[in-house]
Amino acid sequence: MADWSMEELQDWDNKICSLGKKYGLDWYPIDYEICDYKEMIGHMAYTGLPTHYRHWSFGKSFDRIQTEYNLGMSGLPYEMIINSNPSISYLMTENPMPTHVLTMAHCVGHSDFFKNNRMFAETGADTAIDRFKASGKRVKKYMEDPNIGVDAVERILDACHAIKYQVPRTPGIKRRSHKEMKEYYKRLILNDKSGRWNSFNLNKLPLEPDTNLLAFIAEHNRHLEEWERDLIRIVEQESLYFIPQACTKIMNEGWACMIHEKIVNELGIPDDYYLSFIRLHNQVVRPHLGRINPYHLGFKIFKYIEKNHGFDECLRVRETHSDESFLKNYLNEELCKELNLFSYSFHQKDGFNKITEVSGEDTWRTVRDDLIKGVGLNSIPVVMVKELLKDGTLILQHEHDGRDLELSEANKVFEHINELWPGEVRFTTIIEEETWEF
Amino acid sequence: MSTFKEHKTIADRAAGDRTRHRQKIEKAIKESIKDVVAEESIIGQNGNKKIRIPVKGIKEHRFVYGANKNNKQVGSAQGKEVNQGQRIGHRRRQRPTEGQGDKPGNQPGEEMYEIEMSLEELAGYLFNDLELPELEKKSFKFTTQEKMKRKGKRPYGIRPRLSKKETIKQKIRRKKAAIKAGSYDPESGERFTFHESDLRYKHIAPVKKENTAAVVFFVMDVSGSMSKSKKFLARSFFFLLYQFLNHKYSSIDVVFISHTAEANEVNEDQFFTQVPSGGTLVSTGLKKVEEIVEKRYHPNNWNIYTFYCGDGDNWSIDNKESLDAFKRLKEINQAMCYTEIGKLYDYREYSLFAGGNPEKRLWDWTKLAEDKNFKRIRLQESKDIWPAFKKLFGGKS
Repeated sequence: MADWSMEELQDWDNKICSLGKKYGLDWYPIDYEICDYKEMIGHMAYTGLPTHYRHWSFGKSFDRIQTEYNLGMSGLPYEMIINSNPSISYLMTENPMPTHVLTMAHCVGHSDFFKNNRMFAETGADTAIDRFKASGKRVKKYMEDPNIGVDAVERILDACHAIKYQVPRTPGIKRRSHKEMKEYYKRLILNDKSGRWNSFNLNKLPLEPDTNLLAFIAEHNRHLEEWERDLIRIVEQESLYFIPQACTKIMNEGWACMIHEKIVNELGIPDDYYLSFIRLHNQVVRPHLGRINPYHLGFKIFKYIEKNHGFDECLRVRETHSDESFLKNYLNEELCKELNLFSYSFHQKDGFNKITEVSGEDTWRTVRDDLIKGVGLNSIPVVMVKELLKDGTLILQHEHDGRDLELSEANKVFEHINELWPGEVRFTTIIEEETWEF
Repeated sequence: MSTFKEHKTIADRAAGDRTRHRQKIEKAIKESIKDVVAEESIIGQNGNKKIRIPVKGIKEHRFVYGANKNNKQVGSAQGKEVNQGQRIGHRRRQRPTEGQGDKPGNQPGEEMYEIEMSLEELAGYLFNDLELPELEKKSFKFTTQEKMKRKGKRPYGIRPRLSKKETIKQKIRRKKAAIKAGSYDPESGERFTFHESDLRYKHIAPVKKENTAAVVFFVMDVSGSMSKSKKFLARSFFFLLYQFLNHKYSSIDVVFISHTAEANEVNEDQFFTQVPSGGTLVSTGLKKVEEIVEKRYHPNNWNIYTFYCGDGDNWSIDNKESLDAFKRLKEINQAMCYTEIGKLYDYREYSLFAGGNPEKRLWDWTKLAEDKNFKRIRLQESKDIWPAFKKLFGGKS
C-alpha cells in the first residue's frame, strides 16, 4: 500500500469540495475508485466505462497502452472521469498524495463541466452507467448465443465502428422519424405562399440529407435481424454520448486545469506537496512543440478570460460554448502570437510537412480557422445519406469542404458499409477536384 | 461529499478481448507468410537467417482526410521562431500510385507490424497445421530423449533465475524511451527506478526430442523444355518441401535425381543449374529412385518421400512405363507427388498436326495412380505453391 491513507484522501476531498462551492461550481458527486496501474490501463482501454461491451479493439488498445507505458513512452493519465451522475473517477494506488490532491481538484472541474456545459444536456448522465451496463449485457448475450456467436457479432460491430463518427454533430437535437419529417414538410408546403416549396419532392427518402448513417441503416434496412439492429443502435447511442466530449476537449481540459490550479493554490498544502504540485501542473499544461496540447491551449484561454473579464465570465463561458465557438470568440491575435501557433500541411511533392501560415497581424485568423477545422468532430469527414432509391440502392455522399478523403481508407469503410446494407451502395466524393464514385 | 472505495481486483476484464485481438494478429501473420514463402529471398536460406515478414495490422478503418496540401493542421511553437514555407518534421515517403497498392508498408496510416523470425519459426507457423500423410513410425530409428534447454527470457519466474543483465537492459530501454517522450528529465536528479515489469528471468524448459529419419527424393526433368523459370518454380517448391520435412523430422536425407532420357544422382547445385538437353523419359528417373532405395534406404527404417517435378512433356511410349513405376514406388513411399509445371499442355490441339491423342499427356496417365498417397499438382506461378502445398498436406487454416 502507498504512503497515504483513505482518511487523508477524505480530508483533502472535504477541503477541495468546500473551495469548489466557494467558486460557485456545481458538480455531480464523485465516486473515486482506487485501482492499480493495470486496472487503470483497463479503464483507459474501455474509455473509462466500467460496464462497456466487449470487442477485440479494446484488447488492442489495452496492449498498446500497456506497451507504451512499459516502454515509458507515455505515462498514465492522472485523471480519468466519466460523465455520469455520480461521476466515476479512478485514482491510481501507485501515485503519491500530491498527485491525488491535484487529480481530485481536477475532477471537480470536469464534473462541473459535464453538469453545466450545454453540449452535455442530453447525454443522460443519471442513467449513463446503467445504459452501458445493459447494452454490454446484450452484446454478451448475442456473443454467447449459439445461433449468433462472436464472429457474427464482430462482423456487425466492426462495420458499425467504421462509421461510428458519422452521426449528427450538434448534440441534443431529437431525431425526427421519416413520418414526422414528412408532416413537417407537408405543413411547410401548405403554409407556403411564396411558391418556393412547390417543386419539393415529398416522396424522396430521406427528405433531408441524413448525417446519422447508423440510425438510417437501423431504420431502413428491413433485412436486419433484431440483434443486428440492436447492435447498430448500441454503437449509435454510444457515439451520441461521446460526441459532446469530443466537441469540448480543449475547453473541458482547460477548465479542469484552471480549477485545479485555483483550488490547490488556496488549499494551504504543505511546501513539499506544493513543489510536486507545481511540477505536475507544469507538465500537464506545457505546450507540445509542433502540436496542440488541449490542456495547455484551453488553460491559456481560460486564464486570459479570467484576467480580462473576471471569473464570472469564465463560469458563463464554460456553460455556453463548445470548442469551436470558444476558439472563434476567445482565441485572439495576442494569444495566437504568444502561443506562436502556425498552420502546416503535408506537401506530397517533396515529402515534407511545410508551414503554410504563421500567426501574424493579418494571418492569425487563418491559423485560428485552420485550428477550428481540426478540433473535435471537425477533423472527421461528414458523410451523409443522400437518397435511398426504390430499388434499394443507398446513395451516400461525402460533404467536401476542400479536404480530400484518404481513398484507401474510404474504400475499406465502404466495404464495411456494404456489410450493413443489403442492396447496392454508391458513394461519391471529390478527389483533386474530380468526382469519385465507389 | 465524494466517496472513496478500493477497487476489488476481479479477473482482468480485458483478457478476452486481448486474446481475440492476438488471434486476429496470428491469423494475419499466417496470411502474410503465404505471400512470403514464394519469394526468392527466402529460398535457399538456412535455418538461422532472420526473415522479415510484413504483417498488415488489424486496423480499424474510418473516413479520414488524406495528408495533402489542403488538409491543414495547427501546431504551436512557443518561444521558437517559425517561418512560412519552413519544412518541419521528417521526410515521409510518398504514397505509391494506384495499382501497386498491394505493396505493404508505405501507405500512410496503414498499421504494419514487421515481424522478424527465423526460418525455423516460420516453418513452425506454416507447417503446424499441416500433417504428413501416412506417417508410419518406423520401428528402428525411433528414440525419444528429453533434456532441459534454455528458452530465452520471460517476465516471470523464480528468484534464483533472475537475469540481472536483461532486467537492467529493460530498465535502460524504458528510461531512454521516457527521455525521448519527455516524461522523464535526466537532469532533474530524480532516480529512474526499477519497475516490476522490468524484471526478466531465465527460462528453462524441457524439450522432448524424437529421433526420426526420412529420405526425400527430388526427381526433376531437366530436358530441353524445362526453362529457367520453370526450374525456379520447381526449386521454390522443393525448398518448401524440404523445410516442411525438416520441421517434422529430426534428421533428413535428400537425394537429388535429374533425368532426361537417362537419370543421374546429382548434388543440389547441379540439380538446379544443369544445362538442359535431350529428350524425356520420366520412368528413368523413377527407376533410379527404386535403385537407390534398394541400396541405401530400406523402407522398414526410413520414411520415404518422392516428389517428381516436370512439365509433363514425356515421350508417349514411356507413359505406360512411368505409370507402372509410380505405382511401384507408391508401395514403399509414405507419400508421393507428381508436380507438373506450366500450363496443361493441350495435346488435342497438338494432335491435329502430329496425329497423336490425348493419352499422350502424362497428366492424364498419372491420374490413374492418384490416391491419398499420390497426389498430382500443377504450378503455373509462384503464388500457386502454397495452395498446392495445402492440397498435399491438408492444412486446416
